[in-house]
Amino acid sequence: MNWAQKLLMIDRRIIFLLVFLGALIPILVPIGLAVRVSPPVKSIFDRVEGLKPGDAIMLSFDYGPSDGPELDPMANAILRHCHKKGVRVLGLSLFPLGGVDMGIARFSQLSLETGARSGIDYVNLGYKDGGQAAMKLLGESLPAVFPSDVTGQPVGEIPAAQGVRNYNDIELVISLATSVLGEWWINLVNAQFGVDVAVGSTAVSAPKYYAYVEAGQAIGVMGGMKGASEYEDLVAQNYPALAGLSRTATVGMDVQSIVHLIIIMFIVFGNVMFIMTKRMK
Amino acid sequence: MGLQLPGFGEWVAAFLTLACFSFLYRDNTLYRIAESIFAGVSFGYYIGLARLNTLEPNLFRPLFGNFSEHWTLVIPFALGVILYFRYIPKLAWMANWSLAVYVGYYIGVNLTQRLQGEILPQARGTMLALDPSRAGGVGPMLGNLVVVVGVITVLVYFFFSSPHKGPLKPTARIGIYFLMVSFGASFGYTVMGRVSLLIGRLTFVVNDWARPLLVSMLGS
Repeated sequence: MNWAQKLLMIDRRIIFLLVFLGALIPILVPIGLAVRVSPPVKSIFDRVEGLKPGDAIMLSFDYGPSDGPELDPMANAILRHCHKKGVRVLGLSLFPLGGVDMGIARFSQLSLETGARSGIDYVNLGYKDGGQAAMKLLGESLPAVFPSDVTGQPVGEIPAAQGVRNYNDIELVISLATSVLGEWWINLVNAQFGVDVAVGSTAVSAPKYYAYVEAGQAIGVMGGMKGASEYEDLVAQNYPALAGLSRTATVGMDVQSIVHLIIIMFIVFGNVMFIMTKRMK
Repeated sequence: MGLQLPGFGEWVAAFLTLACFSFLYRDNTLYRIAESIFAGVSFGYYIGLARLNTLEPNLFRPLFGNFSEHWTLVIPFALGVILYFRYIPKLAWMANWSLAVYVGYYIGVNLTQRLQGEILPQARGTMLALDPSRAGGVGPMLGNLVVVVGVITVLVYFFFSSPHKGPLKPTARIGIYFLMVSFGASFGYTVMGRVSLLIGRLTFVVNDWARPLLVSMLGS
């Protein structure tokens, strides 16, 4: 076995260790790399920016704790933006494993950060089973799907939900989605009810959503932690009062850049060594 | 404001996170314990969630609170109960009725949803202007050209009714290149997604557990 072959047989745990260090160091010592905003994220920001005080949007927490690092920062940034604009947010979840708790946590953080009031500035309607069935019925009657909010208060008595009967009274639906739920909001709710839909997706699912944006079915997409950092950046730039709040995706992008560099180096290294071993034979 | 000592929840979460990370060294009992806890907790959580968020507000409360107004809910309630007849051998055949309603509903929903919300708009989205004056300039026209060529060549690659010979062969070959680029983009995004999960757990372990613990131990 020559030296190139020995290097190709490197213990994978050494790679794990390097990736671990590459992730740990920027968390301890943030670098602050620049964020470039892409058009699909800018269009979501512009759509929210164009809303009037009192308008209502739906924010669907269609993800669980494992997707929190990517989608929580999106939720935080959107909620801060809506609160600053005076836009009412109707939170809901169609994802069973943790979606409702993601909503509770994000709304609680918003209240702590900005003083937003539950029931007045936002309402958390909770989780509902059924996926497509719930989406379709929301087009007819909001109270039929969500008779009460997550605390059990009847939806008709909640000021934040006043006047919202169905999608006709909603300006925008934003789904923060893992799995197929984001697609359903687009190809069912947008297609059949005509309401604007934007999706914040996990990075794994992001490529497919660009096709919907290109076809005009979704107004924009935030792809993974990168998309979240872009929205955080837009909110911080346009609302300096919010710039001091935590921006976990922006910090996370430092880590992403370092870890991606390590991965690229190993891909190049592996290919070079592979070619060299072939030449040595 | 000083850092608070990690609470019981933080200790449990940190232990389970580190137990999962230990799999990177080798498979071990701690990892298996964490995996089993996750499966059990997820299932229990889902049952509680379905009862509190769907069954009680949408079925039990309206049905038993105001039966005369909501008596039609008896039908979905009965269909739901009948689903569990599959555990009674003599009545198991009845569960098929519920399944038939369930499958029929979702086939109907999906059929229109896919056609109206996916196939037709996506097909329309690929019918793009290849004339610079109509596309809005040479740059956008070239972008449109890439989309059109990509769609046609990939469709040719997946056309299996005749052998890929003659002009079909190079066309399908170009389709493979488009697929390669697509897979590469997906792989890049997948790496970013997986690294994000690592960032999430490391941020928690460092900022919510290790840092407060160290600060309180070292007293600064």
